[in-house]
Amino acid sequence: METKTKKFMIIGLVVAITIAILAPFLASSNPDGFESAAEKILNPGIEEAELYESPMPDYIIPSLGEDPISGSVAIVIGVIVVFILAYGIGYLIKNKKK
Amino acid sequence: MHIPDGLIPLEQCIIYYIIVIIVGYFAVRWARENLDEKQIPLLAVLAAGIFAIQAMNIPIPWGTSGHMVGAAIVAILIGSPFAGFLVLAVVLIIQGLAFGDGGITTLGLNIFNMGIIGSFVGFYSFKGLKAVLSDVPSIFIASFLSLFIPAIACALELWIAGAFPLIAGLYFMGIYHFVIGIVAEGLISTTVYIAINNVRPDLIATKKINS
Repeated sequence: METKTKKFMIIGLVVAITIAILAPFLASSNPDGFESAAEKILNPGIEEAELYESPMPDYIIPSLGEDPISGSVAIVIGVIVVFILAYGIGYLIKNKKK
Repeated sequence: MHIPDGLIPLEQCIIYYIIVIIVGYFAVRWARENLDEKQIPLLAVLAAGIFAIQAMNIPIPWGTSGHMVGAAIVAILIGSPFAGFLVLAVVLIIQGLAFGDGGITTLGLNIFNMGIIGSFVGFYSFKGLKAVLSDVPSIFIASFLSLFIPAIACALELWIAGAFPLIAGLYFMGIYHFVIGIVAEGLISTTVYIAINNVRPDLIATKKINS
């Protein structure tokens, strides 16, 4: 990998992780556009059918409790998993013999 | 606009999954033939950044909030709506499976809206607008549309599913996402585009296509 590409990748990752750490502190906890629309339209709002329990529901680590730090950890994990997965898929697609 | 489980009938969910699998096939074929090996780090960083920014809900009026989706900026930077599709598919799969954000039965629907409609609307409106406007207004309008049009699609899908009435659905999904499209999608995408254009213009694939 070229040095400048590596530099760009590292800066990009630092930015992403910074956003991930700050998000639970700064993000609005208001319902999002879809949830608000659903609240206005459906009475009494959306009835979510929990089909399965995700490991980090609502972007928190359950064992760390519901504070923003727990949120930061969860989102940083997400950023790293997404990065590795996207990189891996890109690599596999390009390197699998046709 | 991550649709949870329970609102869309299963047989309709399957249709969206089928469309996503078909587009996924073409996206993989596109990547194998056209994605430059050097673009893989950019693709991965964009995916990571979009996952992070989607956790950052920005307040808008009416006690509501919204976040950027990012399909347009990825498609425009990498030079294909299929790139936006691949990145959004990865992000939405992780959000759905690991974070309970968006349903499992509706994963196909969510990828269809944000990954397919968002990427194609964003990419092709950018290309069209560039013929008459300069880069900055083009990216702003294209990224706005890449959020607003999927929201309208969402309202229609929820109407087809029998979950939302047509007019009220279009009205509320429309006004909220009109504002989210401007403040979250339009402004951030434009800022990212200008920033990358300043430091690494060579990374912007659509620049090469058009010049």
